[in-house]
Amino acid sequence: MNATHRGVNRTVLLVVGVVLIAGGAVAAAAALVPDIASVWRSATESSVRWMRDAATASRLTEATPVSWFAIAVLAALLAIVVVAVIIVARLGGGRSSTVLREEARDGAQGAVTIGHGFAADALTGALANRSEILSSRVAARKVRGVDVLHVKVTPRQRTSPRDVAELVGQLADNLAVLTGRETPMLLSIRSGIRSRVAASESRVR
Amino acid sequence: MSNSVLNRGVRRETHSPRTVAAVAVLVVLAAAAVFVGIEIVRWLTGLGPLLVTPGDGLNALAQLPDAEPQGAVVAGGAIAALLGLVLVWLAIGPGRRPRHALSGHPIAVVCDNGVLASAIAEQLRRSLDLAPGAVVVGVGSRSIDVTVRPAPGQNIEKDRVRALAAEEIDRYELSPGVKVHARIAKPADEEGRDR
Repeated sequence: MNATHRGVNRTVLLVVGVVLIAGGAVAAAAALVPDIASVWRSATESSVRWMRDAATASRLTEATPVSWFAIAVLAALLAIVVVAVIIVARLGGGRSSTVLREEARDGAQGAVTIGHGFAADALTGALANRSEILSSRVAARKVRGVDVLHVKVTPRQRTSPRDVAELVGQLADNLAVLTGRETPMLLSIRSGIRSRVAASESRVR
Repeated sequence: MSNSVLNRGVRRETHSPRTVAAVAVLVVLAAAAVFVGIEIVRWLTGLGPLLVTPGDGLNALAQLPDAEPQGAVVAGGAIAALLGLVLVWLAIGPGRRPRHALSGHPIAVVCDNGVLASAIAEQLRRSLDLAPGAVVVGVGSRSIDVTVRPAPGQNIEKDRVRALAAEEIDRYELSPGVKVHARIAKPADEEGRDR
C-alpha cells in the first residue's frame, strides 16, 4: 500500500493500449484490403507533404534545415519524455514518519509527536514473542491525510487468520491505551516463502 | 475509527496498482521519443542517421501497405493490436490480488489466499479427524475448492465437508464472499498410494 496514483497508471495503459490497437489494426487492414491501402496512402502522403511544407515554410533562415516546425516536434517529444519521467518519479511514496501528533495547547505543554519507530518497535517486539508469527513489519502511511499503521504479518502455516487478527487487534488496543488515542490500523496477513519453509505449529503444546 | 480511510487501505491492498505495466509502457514510450528526437537532431545538424532519417521513415510509413513481405506487416499489426488489447485489459480490468478482506475485527484485516487455505484445511482436518495432508484447499477470489482424501474404511459425505467448510468460512466474514466446492478423493491404501 502506497500513495501511487493508480488512476494515472491505468490512464497511461488505456491510452497507449487504444493507440496500439488502432494503429495495429489499421496497418494490418491496409496490408490486406486494397481500398483501405489507398486511403492509408493518400492520408499519409498528404500529411507527409504537409509536414515538409510546414518545415520549409517555417525555416529560421534560408541556409539551414532548422525550422520552427522541427523545433515544435522536438518540444513535443521532450514533453512526452518529461511527462513519463514525472509519472515514474511520483510512484510510491505516502510513507509517514509520525503515528500521531498532539498539537500544542495552552500552558506549558508543547506539541507531542509519536514517531513511527516507537509504534513499530512496540508492535514488532510484542509479536516477536509469539511462536505462530514468523515475521512482522510495521509501516506508518498517510492515507487521505490520516496516519494509518500498516502491520504486515507472516504467520506459520495452519495458523488461523482470525487468531492473528485478534492478537494484533489486542495490540492495537494496548497501543491506544499507551498513546491515549486510537490509531487506524490495517493488518495484512501474508503467506510467503518463510511460511512455506518453516515447520508448521508443533503438534505438542 | 476512520472507516473510509481503512476501506481505502483495504482496497489498495486487495487490488493491483498496475505500476509494473505502467512503468514498462512509459519507459518504452520515453525511449522511442528520445530515439526519434536524436534522429531529428542528427538530420538537422547534417550528421548521418543512426537507423533512418526522419523523411525516409515517414515515407516508409506511407508505403507500408506495399511493403514486402505483406505477411510481416499483417503479423506486426496484429501483434501491436493484441498488445494494445492486453494494455486495455490491464487498464480496465479489476486487477484483483489473491487476497480477501476479513471483517468482524476492530482493525482492518487483509489476508492472503494461501493463509486462508492453509487455515481452513487445518480446521477441516481436525473436525474430520484426518491425517495431515488429507485435506487440500484452494482459495480463489470467488470460490473455495476443498478436496478430502478419507482414510481407508472411513466414510465422509460431501455435504458434511461442504457444510463444515462453509461454517468455517462464515466465521472469517470474507469479502468478496466465496462459494464452496467440495470433492471426496479416493481413499489412499495402507501405504498412502492411490488405489
